[in-house]
Amino acid sequence: MEITEFKSGTVTAVALKGRVDSSTAGTLKDRLSKLIESGLAQLVIDFRDVAYISSAGFRTLLIVAKQSADAHGRLALCGIAGEVKRLFDIAAFTDLFLILPSREEAIAAIAQAGASGKSGASASGKSRT
Amino acid sequence: MRRPANLVYTLDDIPPLHVTAFNAIQHVGLIAINLVYPLLVFHLVDTPLPMVANLLAVGMIVLGAATLLQVMRLGPIGSGFLCPATFSAAYLSPSLLAAKAGGLPLLFGMTLFAGLLEVALSRALHRLRAVFPAELSGVVIFMIGLSGGAAGLRSLLAADAAPVSAAEWQVAAFTLAVMVGLNVWGKGLLRMLCALIGLAAGYAAAAFAGLFGNGQLNGMDNMPWVAAPGFGHLSWSFELVMAVPFAIACVAATMKALGTITVCQRMVDADWVRPDMRSATRGVLADGISTALAGLLNAVGTNTSTPSVGLASATGVASRRVGIVIGLLFLALGLLPKLTTLLALMPRSVMVAALLFSICFILINGVQVMTSRLLDSRKTLVIGLALIAGSSVEIFPVIAAHAGASWRPMIGSSLVFATLVGFTLNLLFRIGVKQTVALTIEPARIDAQQVDDFLRQQGGRWGARPDVIGRAIFAANQLVEAVTENCWKSGPLTLQASFDEFNLDVRLSYRGEPLEFPDRRPTDQEIRETDEGMRRLAGFMLRHNADRMRSEAQGDVATVHFHFDH
Repeated sequence: MEITEFKSGTVTAVALKGRVDSSTAGTLKDRLSKLIESGLAQLVIDFRDVAYISSAGFRTLLIVAKQSADAHGRLALCGIAGEVKRLFDIAAFTDLFLILPSREEAIAAIAQAGASGKSGASASGKSRT
Repeated sequence: MRRPANLVYTLDDIPPLHVTAFNAIQHVGLIAINLVYPLLVFHLVDTPLPMVANLLAVGMIVLGAATLLQVMRLGPIGSGFLCPATFSAAYLSPSLLAAKAGGLPLLFGMTLFAGLLEVALSRALHRLRAVFPAELSGVVIFMIGLSGGAAGLRSLLAADAAPVSAAEWQVAAFTLAVMVGLNVWGKGLLRMLCALIGLAAGYAAAAFAGLFGNGQLNGMDNMPWVAAPGFGHLSWSFELVMAVPFAIACVAATMKALGTITVCQRMVDADWVRPDMRSATRGVLADGISTALAGLLNAVGTNTSTPSVGLASATGVASRRVGIVIGLLFLALGLLPKLTTLLALMPRSVMVAALLFSICFILINGVQVMTSRLLDSRKTLVIGLALIAGSSVEIFPVIAAHAGASWRPMIGSSLVFATLVGFTLNLLFRIGVKQTVALTIEPARIDAQQVDDFLRQQGGRWGARPDVIGRAIFAANQLVEAVTENCWKSGPLTLQASFDEFNLDVRLSYRGEPLEFPDRRPTDQEIRETDEGMRRLAGFMLRHNADRMRSEAQGDVATVHFHFDH
């Protein structure tokens, strides 16, 4: 899996390419955790070029969302469509995150939420505990 | 059955009177474009105007009866959905052939044959789907558009027909421009009724250009406003050589009715998972009886109206009550001789425009059905060679002219030739395609792409639907991942996949503990903080990804079965 970072103001967009499964989820978690620890907790994860996500990938998203929330950051997802959207639906993850169609919209949403002082891992913040 | 959120009135709802009436009129307007098919056939054999008007009136009554039969569910007949009847393009090319070869009696006799054949096919829909896969249905639909369009245009613009005047070209271009313009840039009602408005505009332009013969319109003054059509014209004849083109058209109509009724099922049920063959069988039976009735009363073949079902979906009004009113409206229209005479007078320039407009949608529908499956080189060759065969007959009529008498029924029609080539190649290319295949996976060297490629390539050989193969790929990859991380003890994993036209089954066997497939999703905290939570999430997703699944263990070998409806 390829991971590419883009900065846009206070927001960091992370574009993924390939598969998010047990063999790549650890690398993704480490990379995102480092960003959050370095103070970059306003995150957008772009799934446009992701073909597959397994339970290990979903677990990583939950962990990163919690870390981001603990650091008073925000997390949004974008580019989720087709098969990946179906997997989000059957895993019941669609309502857990702020999901927007494009990276630009996701960055704008995170930046706007930051300006209005809204905090949390996602805009919906519907964590099932 | 759960009502979808976008459906305002479902099957048993009774909408207010004005909603019912307005929707029914819209459906009738949408279906009216297909009146061009019987008109083309009657035009080909120079049927006198009063006879054409009478036959159109009979046709309206057939459409009314067919719609009521489909909507009302009488005994084992009728799907019960808002699925009105229309004259079908599927029968255009064979009807033109029959009318040319043996006049209207042969056309009506063969239409009766096709209807009875569809009645018989309604009892064997499963088998029909198996020998007539989707890509071949797509070829047939495409060739219906191509052959019908070519035959229709040929009958109007043939060398022995009157030369086309500049005014006729202008009226045709204007009519087509109105239909296309409203369809592309129109909104709401204007877009929905673009064909009907185009027809009206074409009539007005033709009258303005003086294309109606002297006294043609004035002759309508003496007609009564209301009168039942006569049935003194009834006649039928049959010819064996015509059985093949009409049988192919009948199969196409059957498949289309099956598809339209499936769309209706999905439209009214938010929990729809797979086609309900009971209502589909009842609907196809009603469709066959309707075409038989058309032949019996001397009309051209009918079929379920796909645009009408699209309209019901767009408006959110799928009430059976609307269907009943549509049926009654058609019955009433059949009693209006002035109207049917006006329709019978349709100038050829307007007919050409209507034909071209409707064919565009048939051609593209064919392309969509052809490409709705994964296609390997075998399937590509079936489609490609069938289309080339059919097109060759249209482009080089000399092929049919030079063929021996015994070959002419098969080569004389592009629709028939393309279908036969496709059907034969499809059967031939089944040789060597295994219905069950297996892949051995070494846990030490797992390559997710290997599983992807294995199932995708096999899906292409089988001609499986891409979405179903996608679900199977997720099942295999997620299961292999969960098993190797949590349950595996020793030895290779065996992945097996079996396919027929209706089922895709995937099995994974391994030495180790069975994986749990819970009904309830673990909480976010469980998933985040424990391996057990992630494992149970995998099981939960796998359970909900397949249509059915089961897990079993014999000794230390565990096997997981996933079933996907196809």
